[in-house]
Amino acid sequence: MKYKYIGQNIPRPDAVDKVLGAATYIDDLYLPGMLYAAILRPEYAHAKILSLETAAAEAMPGVVKVVTGAGCTIRYGDNIKDLTPMAVDRVRHIGEPLAAVIADTPWHARAALAKIRVTYEPLPVYVDAREAMREDAVLIHEDNGEIWHLPTLSPIPGTNIADYYHLVKGRGEAGFEEAEVIVEGEFLYPFGSAAAIEPHGAIVWFKPDRTIEVWSSSICPFIIREDLAHAYGRPLSDVRVHIPELGGCFGYKSDITVEQTVAYIASFVPGHPLKWVASRQEDFSSTLIAHGIRTRMKIGAKKDGTLVALKTTVLHSTGAYADTGVNITIGATHNSTGPYEFPHCDLEGYCVYTNTPPVGAYRGYGHQEAQLATERMMDLLARKLHMSPLELRRKNYLREGSVTALGEHLWQSNGDVAACADLVEQAIFTADKPAEDEQYYYGRGFAALMKSPKGAPFSTKGCYMKMNIDGSVSVNMAGAEVGQGLRTVVRQVTAEALKIPPEKVRVYTEIDTQFSPYEWQTIGSMFTTQGGRAVVRTAERLILKLKQTAAQVLRCDLDLLDYDGEYVYLRSDPSVRVAVTSIARGYIHSDGITVGEVAQAVSDARLPRYSNPDENGQGTMGVTYTFGAQGCQIRIEKKSGKIYVDHFASAFDVGQVINPRQIRGQVLGGVLMALGATLSEELRFDEQGRLLNPHFYEYHLPTYKERPPRQTVEFVETPSKIGPFGARGLGEHPVIGVAPAILNAIYDAIGVDFYEIPITPEKIKQALAKKEEA
Amino acid sequence: MLHEITLNVNGELHIVPVKSHHTLLTVLREQLGITSPKRGCENGECGACTVLYDGKPVNSCMVLAVEAEGHVIETVESLAKNGELHPLQKSFIEHNAVQCGFCTPGMLMSAKGLLAENPHPTEEEIKHALAGNLCRCTGYVRIIDAIKDVADHS
Repeated sequence: MKYKYIGQNIPRPDAVDKVLGAATYIDDLYLPGMLYAAILRPEYAHAKILSLETAAAEAMPGVVKVVTGAGCTIRYGDNIKDLTPMAVDRVRHIGEPLAAVIADTPWHARAALAKIRVTYEPLPVYVDAREAMREDAVLIHEDNGEIWHLPTLSPIPGTNIADYYHLVKGRGEAGFEEAEVIVEGEFLYPFGSAAAIEPHGAIVWFKPDRTIEVWSSSICPFIIREDLAHAYGRPLSDVRVHIPELGGCFGYKSDITVEQTVAYIASFVPGHPLKWVASRQEDFSSTLIAHGIRTRMKIGAKKDGTLVALKTTVLHSTGAYADTGVNITIGATHNSTGPYEFPHCDLEGYCVYTNTPPVGAYRGYGHQEAQLATERMMDLLARKLHMSPLELRRKNYLREGSVTALGEHLWQSNGDVAACADLVEQAIFTADKPAEDEQYYYGRGFAALMKSPKGAPFSTKGCYMKMNIDGSVSVNMAGAEVGQGLRTVVRQVTAEALKIPPEKVRVYTEIDTQFSPYEWQTIGSMFTTQGGRAVVRTAERLILKLKQTAAQVLRCDLDLLDYDGEYVYLRSDPSVRVAVTSIARGYIHSDGITVGEVAQAVSDARLPRYSNPDENGQGTMGVTYTFGAQGCQIRIEKKSGKIYVDHFASAFDVGQVINPRQIRGQVLGGVLMALGATLSEELRFDEQGRLLNPHFYEYHLPTYKERPPRQTVEFVETPSKIGPFGARGLGEHPVIGVAPAILNAIYDAIGVDFYEIPITPEKIKQALAKKEEA
Repeated sequence: MLHEITLNVNGELHIVPVKSHHTLLTVLREQLGITSPKRGCENGECGACTVLYDGKPVNSCMVLAVEAEGHVIETVESLAKNGELHPLQKSFIEHNAVQCGFCTPGMLMSAKGLLAENPHPTEEEIKHALAGNLCRCTGYVRIIDAIKDVADHS
């Protein structure tokens, strides 16, 4: 064993509170003097507000105030400031905040909502990017292009295109001249919902001392702090954001969303904490939704299967506000190569305003959506070339010496796709496939995958560490624990780096911007890599402090000293030593004179040389990709059309496993989540932009019954040169290959190609009937 | 309309004024300060608010508080005794069956209800009994393992 604590199954530090029911989530917080908000949602997905009458609501029992967006000048957003806390004169999607009732209890607030009268002038509704891009389409934001946005974004004024991203590698589209075979296809990853079991919510309190105090079930306390400070003209230090336990996130509790709305409402009742927690219906309609990505793809190859050129057009129905969707469009676009090398790429991403709730991160930034296309296309190309799909992929995997679409050079330390593919091949494809029988068709499918991080130039994670006088260590960071288990990772990496048992490491519980070190936001499967690196860097500084004090005590040069977790000692004579417990707050001589500093340290870590895209849309993502492969064996019931996933296999090159049980849990959970997206989940809107299924009865999450009876989970460990002890991130990755692997297996089973998900039993039955007719 | 009722929760009697349309979940959380039953959907679809009602798991968001008078209500707060975790709680920790933890109290109560009625359930029986409890993190595998482990060792 190379490491002492890395690679061990250490239990989660937060598990005890969670099994006791004592873990405190946003809705469990009650503050003195607290008031409650209920929010009115519009009857139209796109309309001008002609009138809003609130007097009757104001007269209802318990009502303190009714708030509307009339006259509100706040515009916010991290990438594009196109959001308003409450609709001002127009509503753009069905879940938008239109008015709010503040009352003494949640039920009084809700009861009064029905008394608000609104008249509208309906406007044309666009649910799909293709409609919103038509030349005669009404503009969802008339000032598109004039709204503040990051300098790296390119909105097209006079259209509904919030951003156009274009990446060219090699000769771009001209590269197809070198192709001997071309395949084309169009794929849809429809709207969905992360649907964490805990709905999103926030509490905001405008305090008499002009500070603003916030609690939110968010993973972005520092973004909330910055955005609210900007909106209300306060110094950042006057906004304090707390993050309690989070009941799942999967991306949609990132960025700043509901917090600005709750803050706006709270600003009308200064002195009172104001609480709002989404109902399940609102969690579906009025927080961030997912996907909405149509991918058109064209691949050119040589007859021997060597890939030559890729053309991708991502049409992203990003919703009524693009602040949170724009990075998903971009991520989908440049990740659409999958884990393959294309010498020539022309990749376009259109982030398009539509009259649907805004799309946000969902276990990745467009990765699963675009790679549904890539991995289906690889099977289509293999069929055209009469090659095995696995063989075709193997020929083209990114490997040492490859250059990605972004122009990044890959090395062996970036991971081994082929090794992951081998493991999946062994698990799924070694034995013969069962032959069709009276009841079932059988099929097997495969998908390889790649995930780049989603960073930003300033995407730093900070760490503060102090050693106490008994040698125990307290670690404080601002990475949000959403269930992924980052507290366990922090404990294990700290233990390893400081060479002390994990029981001596106490990891932070809540996040509070008043005390927590800066962290950009906990997104993009980056915590293990970046946060872990911050821990290692901080531990090194802490050890240096201990050595500096020890050098004074032992009266020798600092570089002659070593540290083993218990002592700092002279390397040439370890009997000359001082215990860390004697120097943790400086060394106290027998006469009371104290020398040396307190053993505490601060550091941080960011992605190496992360850059903005250049004029070709290329740049560096910090080269912290994680590669993997997935495959499955399925059974399709002839009578019902139902798909049973009998065996699902996943393999990822994670560099170094930190906690085997926990990382396996991430994979099992991710696979089931994506199984839901593939087989049942879809957020459905009618032509008028009304949400048809905002509840679990009709937005069917997988239950115990849909769990594949057999799952193979394997890890390849090619150490990374960036992450702690060689580890890479793994959080979002398990969802990427699931849909294409299953769709490829469906073709293998019944010879029908599907280009859209979810594949419900009805769709299978229709396909089978059509096939029989033909 | 307010009714004064007596609720028997975790072995303690609480006299509470409740509104006729308020659910057991609302009264537990908002009036008694018992926050382990979680509000996930308030529509009986997610199971996060599961409590035992005369020993049987129910969604507390689907029971009116006034109906609960005279019945024995147990929440996850009643599981640990004298600082000692219940075997199910220990097993959930050991098997890493807890991730975000939001569904955990409901899962534990459904599991307790199942084992009380059927101490040695098959995997199919566990799946059936917990089909109303949604979890978005774990993929359920570890939760089934944790419950089976307790059943096998009781």
